[in-house]
Amino acid sequence: MTMQSTELILLAAGSNAALITFLLYTLAVFGIAAFSNQMLKGKSFLSEYFLGSRGLGVWAFALTFAATSASGGSFTGFPSKIYSHGWVLALWIGAYVVVPICTMGLLGKRINQVARISGSITVPDVLRDRFESARFGLMAVVLIVFFMVFNLVAQFKAGAMILKTLLSDVEIFHRAAEFFHTVMEPWSFLGTDSEYLICLLAFGIAVIIYTTYGGFHAVVWTDVMQGIVMVVGVLIMLPLAIMMINDLAAKDASSDASGMSYVTQEMSKLVPPVPTEAQLQVNSPAATDRLIATGTWISTESAEGTLRLFRTGNDAEIVAGQQVTAVDAPIKLIELVNASDIKQVLENPSSYTVVRDLQLVGLKQTPYKYGGSPEHKGTYVTGPGPSPDSDIGFLPLSLAFSFFFMWAISGAGQPSSHVRLMAFKNTDTLKKAIFTVAIYYTLIYFPLVMIFCCSRLLMPGMEMESDRIMPAMAVFLTEGVGMGWLAGLLVAAPFAAVMSTVDSFLLMISSAVVRDIYQRNINPYASEAKIKKMTYTVTIIVGTAAMLGAVNPPQFLQDIIVYTGSGLAACFLAPTVFMLYWPRSNKEGCMTGMLCGFAAHFSMYFLGVFTNGSFFKPHRFIDMDPIIVGLFVSFLATYIGCLISPAPPLRLVKKYFYKRKELQRT
Amino acid sequence: MHIDSMDSPSENDGMELYTDQLDPTFVNSRREAVIIFCAWLVALCWCVPFCYLNGYDVADPENISITLGMPSWVVWGIAMPWIAADVFTVWFCFFYMKNDDLGVSPEELAAIAAEGN
Repeated sequence: MTMQSTELILLAAGSNAALITFLLYTLAVFGIAAFSNQMLKGKSFLSEYFLGSRGLGVWAFALTFAATSASGGSFTGFPSKIYSHGWVLALWIGAYVVVPICTMGLLGKRINQVARISGSITVPDVLRDRFESARFGLMAVVLIVFFMVFNLVAQFKAGAMILKTLLSDVEIFHRAAEFFHTVMEPWSFLGTDSEYLICLLAFGIAVIIYTTYGGFHAVVWTDVMQGIVMVVGVLIMLPLAIMMINDLAAKDASSDASGMSYVTQEMSKLVPPVPTEAQLQVNSPAATDRLIATGTWISTESAEGTLRLFRTGNDAEIVAGQQVTAVDAPIKLIELVNASDIKQVLENPSSYTVVRDLQLVGLKQTPYKYGGSPEHKGTYVTGPGPSPDSDIGFLPLSLAFSFFFMWAISGAGQPSSHVRLMAFKNTDTLKKAIFTVAIYYTLIYFPLVMIFCCSRLLMPGMEMESDRIMPAMAVFLTEGVGMGWLAGLLVAAPFAAVMSTVDSFLLMISSAVVRDIYQRNINPYASEAKIKKMTYTVTIIVGTAAMLGAVNPPQFLQDIIVYTGSGLAACFLAPTVFMLYWPRSNKEGCMTGMLCGFAAHFSMYFLGVFTNGSFFKPHRFIDMDPIIVGLFVSFLATYIGCLISPAPPLRLVKKYFYKRKELQRT
Repeated sequence: MHIDSMDSPSENDGMELYTDQLDPTFVNSRREAVIIFCAWLVALCWCVPFCYLNGYDVADPENISITLGMPSWVVWGIAMPWIAADVFTVWFCFFYMKNDDLGVSPEELAAIAAEGN
């Protein structure tokens, strides 16, 4: 039985729980959507549908803000990075110490006030009304739609991938996939991965229906539910991980440490595995086709007689009558080099089965560029962390600075956050919500670092599929303590995170089209019934288009999410800060800043095509992330643009910056 | 399409509705934003240099200093500042931030008027 087969057994045990969780979950969000739809009655449709009538209380506001910010990356990409790079991820995420207060407190009170003064219900609305410039509003709409459509496609893919992992061992799911596969055959544009397609349809249709039907309130209240699932999942995983580590430490006679101390001590001795390419060979020609699945452990002996342990990173096949896998398709593997990792695999035959009748030929090994050589010891417990492809490590100083900007400052510039900041009820709600989100993030992000440092010791050899570490760890932990039923709840956390981001982005795009383009520029006198019909139609069309875009999704999922998130901040943060806090700001300066921020940020990515060979490997000016360049240029351009253009009308300055006279009662 | 219809408003419409005093919500928000920005700057100036000086290029990583089960540079560079930031957040939200009036939106006014009728 291989490690892969162990995972299969574990996943199988938890699979029914996963399926039941998903079904309960879907039922719950539909229930919330139905309830939210009832709330639309008797209120201004647009204000209620897109902004919840500015009536969000503490829990709704706090958890929708937190859940929307914590996209799928928090529960898939982040754990994967911790597993791959170790304790340095605490610094990578370090800005989260001030993220809640920065992203909510810097602009919150003031943007809410300005939106109330102007009667705005969307972000382009605020910019348009604050400067009384329809052009500015339209520019904001174009940028929001541009960035968010790409992001939405990427998030749809993330949601489908997570659901596929959740259901990977549900029998009925596999049968449905086989059926779909035959249906898909004539339709080449649907691709060949029927499991992915089913998950995409299930995820996409569920999100589109509940978002369309329930609007902002449905999104907010599902966010609340999803936010609770996320924090409960993390808080259950942490003690389970430490319990499992204590079991491991008890078996280790060479150390008297336990808990996190044991984790850190052992991690300090680890070196990264060696990425390898090879062909697999059997001693005699196979009688039938032999499939060697992804995740298979293979043990061989070196010329000196020492044991070597590899794990496959992709499927391989030795066809009947042949002895080796195809020459033109070398198999990707990793070789474990730490004695403790090898011991963990070999001494637990009930958990890991090692195949011993395969040899590796044409071996080609490329050690990590940083951390793979003896002079870089202890890279999992020190900075900059091991890196397979960068000789300056995972997190050099310049990038550590960049991420402090990225999370806290660029987080404050996200239009999806601005919408929520326009929706809370009063200042008291804001104050309590900032505090709530601060505690919420403390309970999620730092424990995640601890949990997935534990996973390095508990589940060696996951480097090539580290994106699956969260669900794999959830199942491993719950089975390890005999509570397989918990797996469903734990693996629902990343799914909830993606869902809460997708629904918010979907609503933002549809509000941009209906409110900012149609109602405010094409047909201001459209009846409420017409607006309502159009809102539902546009939300369905946008959602369906994004879902279709994800059928053949772009390759660089995480890169697209980073590009769009940082791009939105480079465009929106400076104009928003200036329009809220500087009476001298005007439409010319803010529009200039928005365009220059976009251009500067885009140019760093475009330069990457020439300097690094890919748009998604951006050029890093003095090793800084493009967001720094984008923000710097945007702030400077807005400031200079405002100064060299005419002062804003006094009437607007008075309206947004001066106290209103008390009306005398007669 | 009337893209430009709002770009040429009358200069002095509604001026008589406002005093010469800056709006206290604006003044308080701006002051609070400056404090928050300073908090971010302090966090940046502590976390990144501290972690860099104590957690990078460690001479003997196999015997790295451990506090509370974690590398000491993580505890003093991130975990403790995290707790400090939460304490600061409590102070800021409950003892410093003003309970300003955010005003009434047009649709809220309409709702109030409808109730009155």
